[in-house]
Amino acid sequence: MAGSTPARDPFDALGDPNRRAIVELLAGGDRSVQQLADALPISRPAVSRHLRLLKEAGLVVEEPRGTRRIYRLHDEGVAAVRGYLERVWGDAAARFRLIAENTTPEQ
Amino acid sequence: MIEPIRLAFDVDCPADHAFDVWTGRISAWWPADHTVSGEADVAVVLEPRPGGRIFERTPAGIEHDWGEIVTWEPPSRFVYLWHLRRDRADATEVEIRFIERGDETTRVEIEHRGWEALGADGEAWRDRNNGGWATLLPHFVAAAAGGRPATTRSP
Repeated sequence: MAGSTPARDPFDALGDPNRRAIVELLAGGDRSVQQLADALPISRPAVSRHLRLLKEAGLVVEEPRGTRRIYRLHDEGVAAVRGYLERVWGDAAARFRLIAENTTPEQ
Repeated sequence: MIEPIRLAFDVDCPADHAFDVWTGRISAWWPADHTVSGEADVAVVLEPRPGGRIFERTPAGIEHDWGEIVTWEPPSRFVYLWHLRRDRADATEVEIRFIERGDETTRVEIEHRGWEALGADGEAWRDRNNGGWATLLPHFVAAAAGGRPATTRSP
């Protein structure tokens, strides 16, 4: 992944269902903290805490818009996700080799 | 642009055996922490024909679809749509090729492609960044919900 390394593992950041819900909401369009809180069964301060974590993981960015702060998905977050999937394939390939090289064809 | 994920490696067995292990014994090697449910004794089933389903089945009998076979050419290659959500518009495409190299060695090539330009029917997909997220997110979210990747360990 190009650019700076996020302070927090994006995969860890998405280990929480509320944070996954926030990312899914942001995939549908930019939103303010209040808009996110309205759409979720958690308080506004809780949404802010989750957003801070997602920001540290490089998955979301915030930008001031008028008097509000708007959150959106970070473009490079996609690269982080793709990197994760590369690891999945790498793991799968290594395990496949082990089985294929240590078994004989089934009759 | 999001490039396809490409991975190639050699395996010390003939191509037909590699193909059989990949498709017929996928439960034996697919990493359990990269499944939708993340359960330990999950069975992965690949129906060996065009239109065949790929899905996982938990010990309780709950099935989660992974995708659908679109090209089936044993023992040299097969292609499937990978859609961990129900919506086929979210699908990316995976091609696995098995190339006989002689000396009982087979080159396996994986290509996981179609990260964008999918779901061409919806205006929501026009925005490249959001489109990239929309296609990637189901995989990542499903994986994140299912467990941590085996390669990541806390210090």
